Amino acid sequence: MNLVHLHLLLNHVPTIGTIVALGLLLLAFAKKSNELTRASLAIFFAIALVSLPTYMTGYSAQRALKDRPGISAPLVEQHQSAALLALIFMEATGVVAWFGLWQGRKPTGTARWSAPAVLALAVVTVALMASAANLGGEITHPEIMSAGAPQAGEGALAPAVLKTAFIAKYQFTHPMAWPTLEAIHFIGLSLLFGVVLVGNLRILGLMRNAAFVDIHRWLPWGVLGFVINSVTGMLFFIGQAFQYVDNPAFHWKVLFMLLAGANVLYLTLFDDVWALGTGEDAPSSAKLVAASQIFLWVGVIYFGRMLPYLGGAF
Amino acid sequence: MESFFEWLQSLSVPTWVSESDSIWGFPTILFLHSVGMGLSAGAAFIIGLRLLGIGHPLPVSSLRVLFKIFWGGFVLNFITGSLLFAAHATTTGYVPMYYAKLALILVGVILLFPMRRFVDSDASDGVIPARLKAVALVSLGVWIGVITTGRLIAYFS
Repeated sequence: MNLVHLHLLLNHVPTIGTIVALGLLLLAFAKKSNELTRASLAIFFAIALVSLPTYMTGYSAQRALKDRPGISAPLVEQHQSAALLALIFMEATGVVAWFGLWQGRKPTGTARWSAPAVLALAVVTVALMASAANLGGEITHPEIMSAGAPQAGEGALAPAVLKTAFIAKYQFTHPMAWPTLEAIHFIGLSLLFGVVLVGNLRILGLMRNAAFVDIHRWLPWGVLGFVINSVTGMLFFIGQAFQYVDNPAFHWKVLFMLLAGANVLYLTLFDDVWALGTGEDAPSSAKLVAASQIFLWVGVIYFGRMLPYLGGAF
Repeated sequence: MESFFEWLQSLSVPTWVSESDSIWGFPTILFLHSVGMGLSAGAAFIIGLRLLGIGHPLPVSSLRVLFKIFWGGFVLNFITGSLLFAAHATTTGYVPMYYAKLALILVGVILLFPMRRFVDSDASDGVIPARLKAVALVSLGVWIGVITTGRLIAYFS
């Protein structure tokens, strides 16, 4: 099992998973079920997380196939930009889905716009994922290929700015682009880490004069930090993919980030922290989750900082 | 100044930090410096945003513990930052971006005092004065500036 296997395994999650989650959301609308809506939103959030390594492992597959006869480089490139466009919509769906879950916790009740917004985004995502998957399938499955070699531009919805080569070239010709992204990445880190501290230290027993409901209001700021760092991080990855794909520090960083990201759902979905009033002590299971969340984010920082030292990144 | 930077850099610990291939040297100090940044700037961001009036139901008095977290991160970064500087004093000592960062840290720390005074006062869960909101806004900008100038030192050496 290597990263190419992982790509072939993971790529079914965003393609099939979004269709299943979309069906669940439609069912939730039909039955007017709040519980089903929340389940569907949580699934969209999880798929959005898994989509990140799905995209990244594609670079391993690309390299494994690069010098094989019968592999069309323009087709690989088309698959890649179609996948990036699909990824962008998938991540937007995941963020809005999370926001819907968060809003559902407001004392004023569920907001009306978030679930329909997820529905609209998900429909677009399903179409884009199907297009990316179809192009990806054609790379090594000649039996499904339409007659002749694929034409340049065929099936490619993605604009030119989403081409990997364009992003890498921009970073190369603008020497301040990389340092600027790094500075923004560190600002996003601090914002995210600040919210992680506030949320989890309350559960661990500090800031007891705040009820968890009040702390929960801050979570979108943490998610904003996460979004800033996903965008800047993906731009690093796309610009210099080959210093990350085989970098063990990067693998650990992504693993820790996925676990920490999934962990964030605990704060919104589970009732044991939600009920925490002013001055009250959290159950020890919640404290364990809170401690693990701080540990995981410190781990993300550790492996991020070690990219040049445990691996070959600059 | 030149001889001071050379003396500083020739000390045994800074020499080890810059020359050792050990993961426990330069890389680990850099990691700890990032964690300190997360603690200090993270706490400063939450304090600044809350005093701007954001995240309203959270009692301002509950921010008190964040000042302790800020100073914890600050001490960590004072130590790790000094080591990182000493290890490369003869180059970093001549980088204007480095001094811009130090100046911004000074401003950021000074701005924390009026915010702390308000958070510690009995009036903290009442109305936030407009002047303090202005201080909070400037403080947010200053910590963003500290992170940015800090990151850019390596590119302006």
